[in-house]
Amino acid sequence: MIRLEKVSKSYPTSTRPALDGVDVDIEKGEFVFLVGSSGSGKSTFLRLLLKEEVPTAGRVHVAGKDLSRLSNWKIPALRRSIGCVFQDFRLLPNKTVHQNVAFALEVIGKPQATIEKVVPEVLDLVGLDGKAGRMPDELSGGEQQRVAVARAFVNRPMILIADEPTGNLDPSTSIGIMKLLDRINRTGTTVVMATHDAAIVDSMRRRVVELSQGKVVRDQTRGVYGYGA
Amino acid sequence: MRAQFILSEIGIGLRRNLTMTVAVILTVTITLTMAGVGWLVHKQVDVMKDYWYDKVEVTIFLCGTNSSSGNCAGKEVTAEQRDQLNADLHATPQVEQVFYESKREAYERFKVQFKDSPDLVRNVSADAMPESFRVKLKNPEQFQVVASAYQDRPGVDAVQDLKKLLDPIFKLLGVGQKVAYIFAGVMLVAATILISNTIRVAAFSRRRETGIMRLVGASNLYIQTPFLLEGAVAGLVGAVGACGLVVIGKWYVVDQQLRPLLTFTNYIGWSEVVATIPVLLLSGVLLCGLASFFTIRRHLRV
Repeated sequence: MIRLEKVSKSYPTSTRPALDGVDVDIEKGEFVFLVGSSGSGKSTFLRLLLKEEVPTAGRVHVAGKDLSRLSNWKIPALRRSIGCVFQDFRLLPNKTVHQNVAFALEVIGKPQATIEKVVPEVLDLVGLDGKAGRMPDELSGGEQQRVAVARAFVNRPMILIADEPTGNLDPSTSIGIMKLLDRINRTGTTVVMATHDAAIVDSMRRRVVELSQGKVVRDQTRGVYGYGA
Repeated sequence: MRAQFILSEIGIGLRRNLTMTVAVILTVTITLTMAGVGWLVHKQVDVMKDYWYDKVEVTIFLCGTNSSSGNCAGKEVTAEQRDQLNADLHATPQVEQVFYESKREAYERFKVQFKDSPDLVRNVSADAMPESFRVKLKNPEQFQVVASAYQDRPGVDAVQDLKKLLDPIFKLLGVGQKVAYIFAGVMLVAATILISNTIRVAAFSRRRETGIMRLVGASNLYIQTPFLLEGAVAGLVGAVGACGLVVIGKWYVVDQQLRPLLTFTNYIGWSEVVATIPVLLLSGVLLCGLASFFTIRRHLRV
């Protein structure tokens, strides 16, 4: 589903490459934690999958496509097959929960009838039924992140990318979000999650890829957050 | 659905940016009004040239009872002198056509020309009108040759070149046209900068939305079209304003003011004005659309 072959990425402003010869292969339906300290290259890794960045060297394959050969006008189609969740939720503050989720479908030209059908379904899935008419600032952090997950998943992407989705949430709320991501993963969606949250990684016992200074230093199935933990 | 989404986005964008939008509309209005005025002045010059150049270019006035030039010595032109002049004019190689205009004909033309001033017509008799030869030259520039040849001939009062008479007017109109175009050019620069800024502000104020749109895989068309159309709509409204001003200008300045005041020529009609309207509308939309397009290309990355 996702394959990085000897991928390096240097930014012109930095002497050290953000990613340095990374080889990672992620199968369809896997749940992968991407761990490592700040600046280890996690975000660059995720941005490469969306072709928000292009690698300086190496190849990135996502959903069977070689991204280096993907022309610019096909990038939107790539991104439709990938859902994204972020630490800061990125909801539109002037739209209701329903409108926020519907927006993701409207802007890719889905018909209104489909939108009216699938938005309540996905809100139900993330546990926000009955809150469709609320504004984001009326919701708790955990609920806002659920809206973001609903928006990322509403188009049933093959891949869900989560960049520290629990970074702004307390531990018990984080567990709720993780359960939700786990449920989404069980539908066959590949989940790649960058995180600093040791407790979550340790409790989930899923594959862990650790990056340090742009290199993969550990790739463990059923791994934990840190060495020897 | 698509259309509805895009229309609502345009509406939101234009309202959110209302003051800038108004500034864009007014600037476009003035730009295009100036361009339209310049064009219509150009058309007016054409109309006048058609009107006058088709007519006789050189008029040889013959001596009459009112003639003041020394050449006449207070005497009317004689029949022999007139016939001689007529024959010579026909024999002059530079001359294409010669018409003789009698006092009676001159009077009729005078009455038509000054039909709005009956007092003047009443005070002038046919006898006071000068007889003349109206001469059309093969090449209007050769006036001087004909003038010097006939100026001092017996029975000739004066030789008048219509083109010389009209030249200052054409010059004046030419200056007016240049001024209008220069204004239009300067305003065009202002309009382009203003549109570009407005779209940039709009893109910035909606960066959250466009960011999410990019993330969920909205196509460039979907992300950019609202901005593009926002510019185009502002341009269209501005162009409609310009058309209105041009129409009012033609009605007020030409029909109400100039036509009764300066009766010696004819003026552009509505067909010239109507012909400029689609050009102005299209220019407005294209100007703003293109300015928006290039701004978007720079500020809304894929």
